[in-house]
Amino acid sequence: MTDQTPPPETSVDGTAKASGPSRRTVLAGTAAAVGAAVLARPAIVRAASSDPVKIGFIEDQSGNLSIYGIQKLHAAQLAVAEINAGYTLAGGPVGPGVFGSNGLYAPKPETLKTDGAALDVVNDGGAPSKKATVVSDDDEILIKSGENGLLGRKVDLVSADGQSNNQLWQRLARRMIQQDKVDVLVAGFASAEREAIRPIVDQHKQLYFYTNQYEGGVADTNTFCTGAVCEQQVIPVMKYMVEKFGPKVFTIAANYNFGQLTASWVRSFAPVLGAEVIGEEFPPLEVSEFSSVIARVQAAKPDWVMTLLVGQNQSNYYPQAAASGLHLPMASTINMAQGYEHKRFKAPAMANMHNAVNYMQEIPTKRNQDFVARFYKMFPQDPYLGQMAQNTYFSVHLYAMAARLAGTTDQEKVRRTLEAGWTVEAPEGSVFLDPGTHACSHYIRLAVADQQQNISFEREWPSISPWWLTRMGVNLIGKPEHKQYTPDDDPFFKMFAAKKK
Amino acid sequence: MAEIVSLLYQFGTNAAFLLLAALGLIVILGMMNIINLAHGEFMMLGAYAASAAVHRGLPFPLAVLLSAVAVGVFGIVLERLVVRHFYGRELGALVVTWGISLILSQGTLIAFGPFMAPIAIPGGALTVGVYSFSTYWLFLMAICVVLLAGLGWLYKATEFGLQARATMQNAAMARALGIRVERVYMITFGLGSALAGLSGALLAPTTSIAPFMGQQFVAPAFITVVVGGGASVIGGAIGSSSLLSLVETPVSFLMGSFWGSIALLVTALVLIRILPNGVSSLRLRRRTRGARG
Repeated sequence: MTDQTPPPETSVDGTAKASGPSRRTVLAGTAAAVGAAVLARPAIVRAASSDPVKIGFIEDQSGNLSIYGIQKLHAAQLAVAEINAGYTLAGGPVGPGVFGSNGLYAPKPETLKTDGAALDVVNDGGAPSKKATVVSDDDEILIKSGENGLLGRKVDLVSADGQSNNQLWQRLARRMIQQDKVDVLVAGFASAEREAIRPIVDQHKQLYFYTNQYEGGVADTNTFCTGAVCEQQVIPVMKYMVEKFGPKVFTIAANYNFGQLTASWVRSFAPVLGAEVIGEEFPPLEVSEFSSVIARVQAAKPDWVMTLLVGQNQSNYYPQAAASGLHLPMASTINMAQGYEHKRFKAPAMANMHNAVNYMQEIPTKRNQDFVARFYKMFPQDPYLGQMAQNTYFSVHLYAMAARLAGTTDQEKVRRTLEAGWTVEAPEGSVFLDPGTHACSHYIRLAVADQQQNISFEREWPSISPWWLTRMGVNLIGKPEHKQYTPDDDPFFKMFAAKKK
Repeated sequence: MAEIVSLLYQFGTNAAFLLLAALGLIVILGMMNIINLAHGEFMMLGAYAASAAVHRGLPFPLAVLLSAVAVGVFGIVLERLVVRHFYGRELGALVVTWGISLILSQGTLIAFGPFMAPIAIPGGALTVGVYSFSTYWLFLMAICVVLLAGLGWLYKATEFGLQARATMQNAAMARALGIRVERVYMITFGLGSALAGLSGALLAPTTSIAPFMGQQFVAPAFITVVVGGGASVIGGAIGSSSLLSLVETPVSFLMGSFWGSIALLVTALVLIRILPNGVSSLRLRRRTRGARG
């Protein structure tokens, strides 16, 4: 109803304007057809070294989801500024030889029994204390790239505001691809937004990064999903919650594809982990008053609650539940790490919240604290630097690294280069981009909010790979695909569910 | 037993939420017939004002009153400068208030960033059986009753109320009878804005304070007022919010809030279909509908 105004287009430093006159001059000189001016930009202009590399960037800077979009925009602006100032993140194809170097890690990583399907936990890790060669968290990750910009060209962030409106997202994606001719598109918060623009991306074979944590399953030749997925988050956090608080779970999830599919992961994995989903609730994104939900949770008497709540309206659940005296342990894959609810709500609304995150600004490692300092130096007013912002930051750097190695911004060649299997030293730790599934392994930490909503990290998993698409037989190098798999496609989950009965 | 108390509590919070969301709109849409799409943003301003005041150390009740006054004054200024040029042109008013809502929400985003620090929900929790309830929501239910009674008294029993009703029914005739129509419009719009600011401030502790928070109230507010109908706006709003929550509450409790929302919308549809003039037309009325009605 409210979102029909044309979105403003901004560029970080105004250099997008610089290409305007030269483009017009060339067009006038070649007497090109007027219609072609919008659709086909002369190759001669693209090749000119004065022409910036264009990173198309759409996020929600206004509307229900703006609380996430602005962080992501600022993280992308930081990455672009660093690239233009001659910096890059450490890393490269197949990484720096080994997976990280010196760092702290959990001395006894968790192991699973190999016999039988119960996947019982044998031990629970322990405090991260031992120095060993797993992950480097002390070394400087921001290093000289050897050039200012990328391939002798300046990098320009062409950003637009999606206004939390899926139709507008489609229009903006078309404009970025067809009119702005961006070299890479980095866009998407909600899964509904991603699915709205992915057909357009595929139609134009546009190189596309989706940097959000999400429900997983996207197998798309043109898309790189660099955020954490369910097998990296849902399973670790559920396992922890079941061990610590008990088997009975109540899920409250936002009613759209992300919430429904993540809830389906919770349901699917419950039998494997000895958990039992005793109730589910899918409030629509518009719901902001939760007395019925709270009463249903109280009536069901779960051991803990899985909250997968999205957006401004739904985050009201937390203060309302706390005020109603509902103080059950909570788990999530999104809350706190992206909407910084622990900063926005008065304690104890978020007390006893557990989230297996790949990033939060509170991560104490030196490489991360350096990153946090760089971010707040550029954006001193910002309230939080969350998971998706970090993903966006390393993804923009990753693109520049791959394009630099490919020696071109030709999208097909950059995509092939990215499929070499990259390690990038991100603020969270070492991230590995899997060639076959275009998904990333992540350093996962179990973040826990105490009564004062201070964050501590109780467990660490230095590298969890996004194994599920591999399990489903996805190999985008050998077999191009453009679909999203759901847990229903996997007979594995049904097998366990059946066995339980 | 505990179930019944819990259902009653849920019914009360649902109805109180609808009524609080609708409070300012009852006056501005219900009485003045201005489709005020900036209603949610008026509530947002109230919430911002209250939160800012609390952060500066004011006690919460004082902060709430202060924000009501501030938003009321803001509404009067807006009425003088913009809205009054659109009386009698409903679609014009719709577009202009929509524009105001965009300016207010985007302006707040630019001025204050994507959210403001929250304020704690006052009061504690009561426990009955396995259920526990927020005392603040019980207080909000009581406040709703007081506010609506006050509004009813103002419009039914005072000189100003009589003049206002006369103006709303037939402005030309009211003017001929010596009523200062312009002044009545200004005060009524200011009152509607103040009430929106007041309910925004009252709901502020239960919600996250952000530039676009107003949007969550707009649909419930319009549904409540439109289903209530124009014959007796206040009675209509009470009737519609009760009927809507009467359906929504058990459905939400048994089947989840997704079906609860659907039940609310279906009920609204059915009610408008069988009672085109709203719930309030049930208690039928001798009052002739105004020229602009």
